[in-house]
This record gives sequence, C-alpha cells and structure tokens, in this order.
Amino acid sequence: MALVKRIYSGVYNLILGLTVTVKHLGKHAITLQYPKERWPMPERSRGCVVLLTDLEANKLKCIACGLCYRVCPNNAIKFTAAKDEAGKRFAEVFEVDTGLCIYCGLCEEVCPVKGKAIKLVPRYEFSVYDKKDLIYDKEKLGEIGREYSG
Amino acid sequence: MSDYPKNSLNLPFITTEKVGTEEFILNMGPQHPSTHGVCRLILKMDGEVIVDLVPIVGYLHRALEKIAENRTYLQFIPYTDRIDYVSAMLCNHGLCMAVEKLAEIEVPQRAEYIRVIMDELNRIASHLVWLGTFALDLGAITPFLYCFREREMILDLIEMTCGQRMTFNYMRVGGVSRDLPGEFIPKAREFVKYFKPRVDEYEAILTQNPIFLGRTKGVGILDQKTAIDYSVTGPNLRATGLKWYLRKEEPYSVYDKFEFDIPTGTKSDTWDRYMVRIQEMRQANRIVEQALESIPEGDIKAKTKAVFKPPKGEAYTRVESTRGEMGFYVVSEGDTMPYRLKLRTASFSNLAVLPEMVRGWKIADLVVIFASLDVIMPDVDR
Amino acid sequence: MFELDKVFKAVYFWLEGLFTRWGIPQFWLDLLSMLLVFVVIIAFISVAVLFLVWWERKVAAHMQVRFGPMRTGWHGWRQTVIDAIKLIQKEDIVPLKVDRAVFVIAPIVVFVSALLVYVCIPFGRGLIVRDLNIGILYILAITTFTVVGLLMAGWGSNNKWSLLGGLRSAAQIVSYEVPLTLSVLGVVLLVGSLSMVEIVKSQAHFWDWYIVRQPIGFLVYLTAAIAEVNRTPFDIPEAEQELVAGYNTEYSGMKFAMFFFAEFTNLFTISAVATTLFLGGWHGPWLPSWIWFFIKTFGIILVIMWFKWTYPRVRVDQLMDFAWKFLLPLGFLNLMLTALFA
Repeated sequence: MALVKRIYSGVYNLILGLTVTVKHLGKHAITLQYPKERWPMPERSRGCVVLLTDLEANKLKCIACGLCYRVCPNNAIKFTAAKDEAGKRFAEVFEVDTGLCIYCGLCEEVCPVKGKAIKLVPRYEFSVYDKKDLIYDKEKLGEIGREYSG
Repeated sequence: MSDYPKNSLNLPFITTEKVGTEEFILNMGPQHPSTHGVCRLILKMDGEVIVDLVPIVGYLHRALEKIAENRTYLQFIPYTDRIDYVSAMLCNHGLCMAVEKLAEIEVPQRAEYIRVIMDELNRIASHLVWLGTFALDLGAITPFLYCFREREMILDLIEMTCGQRMTFNYMRVGGVSRDLPGEFIPKAREFVKYFKPRVDEYEAILTQNPIFLGRTKGVGILDQKTAIDYSVTGPNLRATGLKWYLRKEEPYSVYDKFEFDIPTGTKSDTWDRYMVRIQEMRQANRIVEQALESIPEGDIKAKTKAVFKPPKGEAYTRVESTRGEMGFYVVSEGDTMPYRLKLRTASFSNLAVLPEMVRGWKIADLVVIFASLDVIMPDVDR
Repeated sequence: MFELDKVFKAVYFWLEGLFTRWGIPQFWLDLLSMLLVFVVIIAFISVAVLFLVWWERKVAAHMQVRFGPMRTGWHGWRQTVIDAIKLIQKEDIVPLKVDRAVFVIAPIVVFVSALLVYVCIPFGRGLIVRDLNIGILYILAITTFTVVGLLMAGWGSNNKWSLLGGLRSAAQIVSYEVPLTLSVLGVVLLVGSLSMVEIVKSQAHFWDWYIVRQPIGFLVYLTAAIAEVNRTPFDIPEAEQELVAGYNTEYSGMKFAMFFFAEFTNLFTISAVATTLFLGGWHGPWLPSWIWFFIKTFGIILVIMWFKWTYPRVRVDQLMDFAWKFLLPLGFLNLMLTALFA
C-alpha cells in the first residue's frame, strides 16, 4: 500500500514539474538582446568618472581641494594643484586611471562643490585595446563630462 | 606462459588470487565545474566511495584584514562588499554596526528600516543564487534561469537606490549614504507581491520530485553536536534542529519590530538544508513587506565628523549573514584607521565541517552536499 | 496529395528504362539504386539532425524564458550549420599516449551503428528502405552496437574520467535494453509479426493505436529509450558536473562532431520507433502519410526534450535500481497482462 502511494506521489510530482516548465513556453522571453536593445540605466548608476564643467564660465568646476584624491581607496586619482592668474586654485594635473577605479563613488560623495565637480555617470561602454588609453587626463574627463554638466 | 600452472587439458590458466583494490587519491582541482569558486578538494577514494577529504583553501586570499589597517573606515566599506559579494549589503551592515558600537553612535530610525529592507532583499537574492546553482549541480538546468529572473528584479531595485548591482558601498557609519528614490517603495511592494508565488513555483519543480528526493533525502547528515563543535552557523545549523536565529536571540537594528518565523529542519540532511533556505526566502519576503508598510520619515544618517576618529577601544558585533554569522572585531587606537580589523566569516567554519559529512558517500553525493552547504570562496579566504 | 513513394518508384522506373536501353546489366541498376537510397537517407538524417539541434536549443531557451540563438539567420536557424562548419575545420587532436586504433575507430562505430538502423524505419506508406520481416528485432540488435563504441571511446582515451564515463554508460545501456525489449514484446504479441510495416498496418484506426492498448508498455518504452540515448534524467555518462565530459573528454573536431551527431540521430531513431510501435506510424486523416509520421515523431521528441529540461539527474546506483527493480517487473507485468487479456 505504501508502495502504491509512493508511486502515485512520484508520478504526480513528476507531472507537476512538467506543468511548470511548459507554462513558460508560452511566455515571452525576458532576455534583452544587447547590442540592438539597451537597458535604460537609472540616473544614480555608478559608471565612468567625469569632471563637470560650469557651462557659463566655461571652466571645470573643480577647486582642487584634493579630497577625492585622498579618499580614493585604490589611489586611482593623480592630482596636482596650482594657482591661476586670479589666485584661485585649480587642478593642473588631474588623471583618473579608470582601469584601477572600482566605481565606489566615494570621490563624488566627498566633493564639497555645490552640484559636485566630479561625478560618476551611467557610461559603461568604454573598452579599449590598450591599457594606457584607460588613463583619462583632465581634458578627456572634462570633454566627456560636458554632456552631463547641464 | 610456461610458469603458469597447467590443468589437465594442458591449457594455461591464470589463478585469480584475491583481487585487491587500493585507495587512490583524486584531486578535484581549483578549476572544476561544481566547486563553488576556487576550492581544491583532495579526495581519498576507494572505488567510487570517498574515504577522506581535505579541502585546500587560500586561492582567493586578498589580505583584506591587512588592507584594513591602512584604510579609513569610510574607505574600507567598498572592501567589505568584496568579502561576500553575493550578499554584500550584510557585510556593509556588519562593519557599520561594529564602528557604531565602538563610537556609540545612534542610527536614525529611517536608516535602520532602510538597512533592514536592503538586508532582506539581499538575503533573498543570495538564496536565489544558491538555489539556482544547487539545482544546476543536480542536473536540473531550468530553475537556475527562473531564479536569476527574480534576482534581476531585486538588483534593479537596489541599482535604483545606490547605483550598483553587486558591490554596493551603500551603508555608512551612522546610516546609509543616499535616500530611497521616489519609485522605490511602489516597485518594492510590487516585487514582494510578485515573489510570493514564485517560491511555490520553485518548489513545484524540485521539492517533492522523486528524483530530487532520491538524491537529497538522507544524504550528507550532519548531527547537531558536530555542527556546534565546528561552529557551523546559519541555515546549516538550523537544519540540524537547533533554533538559533541571531535576529531573534540578539536582535540588532530594528528586527524586534517585525514578525517572522524560524525555519528549522529535523533530520539535517541535504533536503532539510534545502527546505530551510526555501522557507527563509519566504520569511525574508515577509519582513520586507512589513518594513515597507511601516517605514518612518526622518534622517538617513547620523551626523559624524568629517574626519572620523572613533575613541580608543574595541568592539565585536555579529550579523546574521545569509551563510551564517558574520562577525566584525574592530580595535581602534583613536585614529582614522583601525588598528586591527578581524572578520569572522561563516563560510570558513561551514567548509571545515565538510569532511565529516562526506565520508562514505560517492562523488555524485559530494557535489550535492557541497552545494547544499552554501559556501562562497571569497568568504572563506577573505 | 503528394505521395513520395510514387516519386521514388518513378525515378527507379526511369532509370530502369535508361539502363535497358543502353544494355547495362541489372546488377548496376541495383547498385545505383542502393547508392541513391543511401544518399537520400544520409541527406535526410543530416538535415534532420541539424534541425533537431537548433530546435532543442530553441525549446530549451523558451522554457527558460530566454531566446536561444538569434543572430545567425531568422531566429538563428543557421546556427547549427555554422557550428558544423566550425567543427569540421577544427584541429584534430589525438593525445600522445592513447591506444590509437581504438581511439580513432570508436566514433566511427558509434556513428555507423546510429545510421544502420534507418534500413527499417517506415517513413510513410511505401517509404521504407527494406521491409525486413525481423524489422524491430534488427533495430534492437543494432542499437546495442553503441555500447561497444562507447567502451572503446572510454578505454582508448587513456584518461581516468573517460574510463569511468565509458563504463557507466555501458552499464546503463545494457541494463535498460531489457525493459526496452519487454515493452516492445508486448506490441509484437498483439501484432503477431516483427515486421515494421505489419505493425503500422495493424494500427489503422485511432482506437487501435498501441498507446491506447498498451499504456504501461508505452511508459516503460519511453523511459528505457531515454536511458538508452543518455539523456537527462539519465545522462550520467555526460554529466558535466561530475566527470568533465565523460567519454567525450579527449575528442575534438570532427570526431566529437560524430559523437554529437550520433546522439541526435539516436534521439530521432527512438522517437521514430515509438511512433511506429505506439502511435500508429503514418496513419492519419487527409495529410500525406510521411507528414503524419514527422508530426508524431517530432511530438515525441518534444516530450523527450521537455523531460530533459525539467528533471534533475539520477545517481548511478539509483539508475541501476530503477532499471532492475522497477522497470523490469513493470515490463513483465505488462507482458503478462497482454498475454492474458488480448
């Protein structure tokens, strides 16, 4: 009797498993076919590091306080400050090694400038063939950051 | 041929003396489709039966505890993500709790609720990864895809809040770093409602399936005394029958405000460990639902100094991570960087008990037992 | 409608006319017609296998809420063709210490034994290469050759894991031969003949189909046949998670392609035999007979694929248990009931 119950329960559960998989045959697949369709990244997405520009003054917002350079856990930022003609500090050399960057966002968090001078934007497709090209200098960071500065 | 004894027909025959077998050593190396991560297992086998097992770990050691001595507390939080990358929020939470205990900082209520929601969502996500890979090791390939479909939804929720899908860097000493965006709560409520019948779906494919029962019932029994001796914690310990749930014994954060059950097992075989985790997914879903209903308004982070220096002293806190108890022991000399940070990870002890469980079973069972322990190698090696 | 056997007969008569006009002896006509049939069968099997591989990937993908191959042609139909071309142009690696003769011949044995069965499969009314009067016995005998090939592959690879895989699969196939034969015997008892065409002819009406008259036999046949072709839940010889690829480990390039090809050919064979024995062969209203045959065969293939993507794998000793302690008594029970009540 117990054997019959076992057989019955076994067959019932085997068929139950089958019904679950066959239900999915009718549903539409959830795969996103990547190069043709792209996922809309949320605005807080932490992608590439960029430097934002003050569009009216046409200058980078960075005041060269050095806080982002000191907080980076991986030392991915290289930074030298200097004073310009007006006596204001600006960053003479500002290099981010995006290969070393772990996209943690701490540099953005500690930046004291209103509206942030350094930001992590949802840009993720920047693979290159040579590791040297991953080191972004001030001009490149500013250029990419221009479209996010608005 | 001439020295073999001949029989009456003058044909040579070979006397079969006792056919002996000897044990051989098999190396399930660091690269193998079914060791979860880089773990090397040296097996001593007698035919197909395992006589003994020695796990060799350390392939993923990154010296996180030493690195901690040269990073400030804020800088170390991204590193905690990488201790157990499948349930990173819980590791963040643990470190923040340890430092808060040391510096006696009070965390605002809203931050605590957000922490609990993120913890439990992460627990569901981690158990989904476990379930997918467990079924995959058994040969059922389809539940893996279903689990990851749900995991996508959880990761989308978290990405909407903190910006990343795996290494979150979300919690800070004193609270969390950013507030929940506007669409988080409605979407999370939708997810909670959607997820309830999903667990039933996974159970329909696996739980009472006779093939699955044959592979997991009675396999890899871990008795309670051995488990306690080896400091096994988490679902593995609860499957042996001991109702040890850190969130009920020493409620940290706001867990005492929620109502949830403790799933335990009876026979502590692989099937029980599987059932305990399935039930934990359901309970975690319940907690998220309750937290979403009663989340208060308020600050999300307590005010701390910009250059944060906790007072001299030491503190040990433990969090109920998805794999067991995760402990953080912080020793501070009053400086911005800890003097010593020790991580007690759950997977290290869970892996240590593996030899006790596999003696006498076959390789196919070893794969199943190892999968049911839910060991993540970076957690073991740190 | 379009009956294919008339097409083949027309070609044969045209050739016969041609050969008698040119005074060539009958022998060459026979030889040429055999070669043509061989070419047709091989072409058909190649196309069928290419289609099956693509179809399996699509069915599996849609069951797992994803798409499967999508980029090579419409919904990826060209994927298998490209994979075949890739495998053909791959380097053929023969490891140094293998038993060379055994290693090289193993895929050929497996491949040939998979193909030889097609002599006796009735694709439609009048569309069978040779209606042997021991048809089904021939099929069962030839499918056993695969064991020899697998053992040769396991031994010849000079590799502990492959040997384990080869031995396991030999044990599995040999054990499941017995329930397979018993389930077929039930049908043969009812028909009274071993010939495939006779078996199909005796299922003229829907209520005569042996799935209705022998439900236990059908289930035993299906389970034993899935175990014969090494598919989940009985795919231990190829279990990736335990033995990296079982007997397949050391093979690359065309040799691997032959194993792969033989596996899908076997899948088609057992479904075709299931259709012939249990589902009425090529009988069906108003469509041509060969179309019904294909519909039914692909239906059974779909069911077998469905099993593959739903169930976990059984363990080796449980596999043997299941064959000898469960399927075998069930097969005997079926035989007894058939003999008593029909």
